[in-house]
Amino acid sequence: MQFELRTQVIEPKRKTFTNLVERYGDRPASRYEEGSIDIQPVENLHYRPLYSADKEHYDPNWSAFKLADPYSFTDPRQYYYAPYVQSRAATNEAFVKTIDYVESRALFTKMPAGWDALVGEVLVPLRHWEAGTELVFIEGARWAWGTTIDQCCTYAAFDRIGNAQNLSRIGIVYGDGHDHALATAKDTWLSGPALQGLRRLIEELLAGDDWAKKVVAVDLTDRLLYPLMYGHVDEAALTGGAGAYSLVAQHFSSWFADHRRWVDQLIKVWLADETYAESNKAAFQDVLDERWTQIVEAVTDLAAAVDARVRCGAADVVAANAKELAADLAAAGLTVPGGN
Amino acid sequence: MTVPAQKPVRKLSMKQRYSALTHDLDWTPTYVTEEQVFPHTTFEGIKVHDWSKWDDPFRLTVEAYNKYQAEKDRRLYAVLDGFAQSQGQLGLTDARYMNAMKIFLQGIPIHEYDAHRNFAYLARYANGPGARFAALCQSLDELRHAQTEIHTLSHYNKHFDGMHDWHKWSDRVWYLSVPKSFFEDALTAGPFEWLIAIGFSFEYLLTNLLFVPFMSGAAFNGDLPTMTFGFSAQSDESRHMTLGLEAIKFMLEQDEDNLPIVQDWLDKWFWRGYRLISLVAGMMDYMLPKRVMSWKEAFELYFEEQMLGGLFKDLEYYGIKPPRHVDWAIGEKEILSHQVYWILYQYSHAAAFSTTIPDAEDQAWLEQAYPETWPVYRDTVWNKAQRVMDEGGRYFNPGLPQLCTVCQIPMGFTEPGDPLTQCQRQSVYEGERYDFCSDGCQWIFDREPVKYRQSWLPVHQIFQGNCGGPTLPDVAAWYGLQPGDGAEYLGSPDHQNWLAWHGQAPQEG
Ligand SMILES: [Fe+2]
Ligand SMILES: [Fe+2]
Ligand SMILES: [Zn+2]
Repeated sequence: MQFELRTQVIEPKRKTFTNLVERYGDRPASRYEEGSIDIQPVENLHYRPLYSADKEHYDPNWSAFKLADPYSFTDPRQYYYAPYVQSRAATNEAFVKTIDYVESRALFTKMPAGWDALVGEVLVPLRHWEAGTELVFIEGARWAWGTTIDQCCTYAAFDRIGNAQNLSRIGIVYGDGHDHALATAKDTWLSGPALQGLRRLIEELLAGDDWAKKVVAVDLTDRLLYPLMYGHVDEAALTGGAGAYSLVAQHFSSWFADHRRWVDQLIKVWLADETYAESNKAAFQDVLDERWTQIVEAVTDLAAAVDARVRCGAADVVAANAKELAADLAAAGLTVPGGN
Repeated sequence: MTVPAQKPVRKLSMKQRYSALTHDLDWTPTYVTEEQVFPHTTFEGIKVHDWSKWDDPFRLTVEAYNKYQAEKDRRLYAVLDGFAQSQGQLGLTDARYMNAMKIFLQGIPIHEYDAHRNFAYLARYANGPGARFAALCQSLDELRHAQTEIHTLSHYNKHFDGMHDWHKWSDRVWYLSVPKSFFEDALTAGPFEWLIAIGFSFEYLLTNLLFVPFMSGAAFNGDLPTMTFGFSAQSDESRHMTLGLEAIKFMLEQDEDNLPIVQDWLDKWFWRGYRLISLVAGMMDYMLPKRVMSWKEAFELYFEEQMLGGLFKDLEYYGIKPPRHVDWAIGEKEILSHQVYWILYQYSHAAAFSTTIPDAEDQAWLEQAYPETWPVYRDTVWNKAQRVMDEGGRYFNPGLPQLCTVCQIPMGFTEPGDPLTQCQRQSVYEGERYDFCSDGCQWIFDREPVKYRQSWLPVHQIFQGNCGGPTLPDVAAWYGLQPGDGAEYLGSPDHQNWLAWHGQAPQEG
C-alpha cells in the first residue's frame, strides 16, 4: 500500500517557516535562509550576565555599530555550515597539494638571495598576526547582534586560525621538517622591530572593547597587509624567480578575496542603515582617528623589512595603497588622520 | 628528464607537529596585560596555575576538521534530499510521532545555537590555546547542529503543523521557557560555570538521556532524516563529551580550592538538567507510537548505571561526590513521565504540539513498563479525561498554572514517596515569595536569589499584561499559534491529513 502511495503527489501545506514568509513573501526559502535568518534569541531574556551589569547576553549594545534590522545583512557567499566546510575542505586540499609539492622539490632552498630571509623572518611570523585576528573574529561571533553577522565572524575566525596553521606549515617545510623556523618566527614576532607595530596593534585591540571596531581595525590592516604580502611581493617573487613564495602566496590572496566579500558588504550595510548610518559612520571614524596612523605605520614597518631582504619597492606600495584606501574611505564620507 | 621528487620526511612527531600548528601560535602579551586580554577567567574564583595542562586528545587541525565535517554533511544532506523527494513522511509509524519532533524543533536547535555562541565566548576568553581551540571547534559544531536540525525538520514543516514558527515560540511560549531559562542561566554565568553546566553536566552527564530517546525514537518510527542527523552528530558529541570531562578534571587538578566551587556547580546543573529532560521523559513514554525503552529504563541505564556507577566512581578520586538531590531524582523515576505528560495534556491548547489519551496499545505498554505506578494515573486522571472525551468534550485546564521559579515547569511534581501530594516549596527574598517544585529547585534559588528573581516566568508575564492580553486567545495570538498547532491530536489537521494520505479519510481542505 505504501509503495503505491509514493506516486501520489502531496501538496505541501506551506513552503517554509512563518518568519521567512513574513520577511520574504510566500516563496520557498533557501537552506542559507532557513539556517541563518532569525535564529538568535531576541526577547524575554531571563537573566543578566554575571559579568555584565549593563548589557544582556544578547544585546545590540555590545557595539557602537548597529543595524535597524540585523538581517538586512546577509552573507553574499550564502555560507551556512555545510557549504562553508565544503568550500574550505577544497581550498585546504589545494594548499596541502602546493605545500607538499614545495616540500618534495625542496623549493624553499631554491630561492634567490634575500627570499630565504623574507620567508623566515617576515612571512612565517605573520602566523601570529593571523592567530591574533582569530580572537577578534570569534569575539564578534560571541557579541554580534544577529545570526548572519555572528556566522560570518565564526567562519572568519576559523579561517584565520587555519591561515595561521598554513603559515606554520610553510614554516615547518621551510625549516626542513623541523620546528626551529617556527621558533625563530616567534622570536621575531615577539621582539623583531619590523613586527612590533602589528603585535602592539593586535594586543591593544584585544585589550579594548567593541568587537566591531576591532573587526574594522583588523580589516583596514588586512587591506594594506594582504595586497602587500600576497599581491605585490607575490609578483616580485614571480619575476624574481622565487616560485615557492608565489605558489604559497596565491592561497592567501584568494582566501582574502573571498573573506572581503562579507566584510565589505557588512561595512556597506552599516553605512547605509536607515536608522544608524550616521552613528555607524561616527563609530567608523573613531576607529580611523584612533588607529589609522598606527595601522599604516605597522604595515610600513613590515614593508621596510621586506625591502631590506628583497628590494621590491614594498614601502612605496604600502604608501600608494594607503592613499588609495584613504580615498575610498573619503568617498564614504570618512576622513583619515593626516589628510587624504 | 625530471628530477625524482624527494619523499617528504616527517621530522616532527605527530604530537610536536600538532603543537607547532596550534599551541605554539599563542604568545603572552606584553603591550597590554594578560588580564586585559582575558578578563573573564578570574571572577568566578577558579584558580588556574598552568593553562598548558589543558589537554586536547583529538589533535584536530583546521584542515582535518574541514575535511571530516564536509564529508559528513555531504552524506547527511543527500539523505535529507532523498527523503523529501520520495515523500518519506508517508512511511512514519503515525503522524502522532511528529509531536516529539515538534518539541525537538522548538526546544533544541535554538539552544544548540546558544551553545555555539557561548563556546565562541570560551574560544575568545580562555587563557590557554588548547582550551580555546577545542572550544572553537565545538562552537562550529553547535552551529552545525542548529542548522542541520532545522534543515532535517524543514521538510516536515511543509506537511505538518506545530513547526512553522519555532523561532518566535522558543522566545515566548510557556513550556519553551523551560529550556530557554536553562540555557540562558548557563550563558549568563562565567566561562568555568558554563563548562560545568554545558560541557560537563549537559554534554556528558545527561547527554545520552536527552539524545538517545529522540534518535532511537526516530529510528523506531521511520524518521530516517532525524536518525541520520543523530548519527552524524554523534562523532561531534564524542569530542564534546571529551571536552566536558577534560574541563572538570582540569579545574580539579589545577587547585584544590576549586573543588567546592565545582561541586556546587555540579549539584546545581545536575538538578537543572534533570528537570529539563523531564520533558523528554514525558515524550518518551507517551508521544512515541513505537517505544524504544521506558524513561525508567533509560534513567537506570544511562544515569544510574553509567554515571553514578561509572563516572562518579572515577571522580571520587578528586573528592567529587554524586550530585545533591540525586536520590530525589531516583525516587521519581517511576512517576516522572506520568506527571509531565499529564501537565502537557492539560495545557496543550496553549502549546504547539498536540496530545491525546494513551490508546489501548499505549496503555498495555505503560502497564508493563510501570506496573505499580501506571494504574494509579490511569485511575486518577486518564479515566476522568476519557469520560470527558466520551461526552464529546476534551479536558483542558482552564486556569493558568503556577510555575516553579527555577525550572519553570508548572507545579505538578509530588512529595517524595507520596505520588498524590503535590510538592510545593517557598522561599522569601527581600519580602517577595518565590515558589518551587522541589528541594532541588529551592536549593538552587537560595544560592543565587539575585539571579533567579529575574526569571521571565510566562504565567507572571501573562498576568502582568506582557503577552498580548489577558485571555487565552490573546496569548495564543501573541505566541503566534495557529489552529492545528496544538490541542487534541485526534481530529487535528495533522491527524486528518495522515488518514487522507493513507486512503482512510478525505484530506482536510
Ligand atoms: Fe550540539
Ligand atoms: Fe554538543
Ligand atoms: Zn522546579
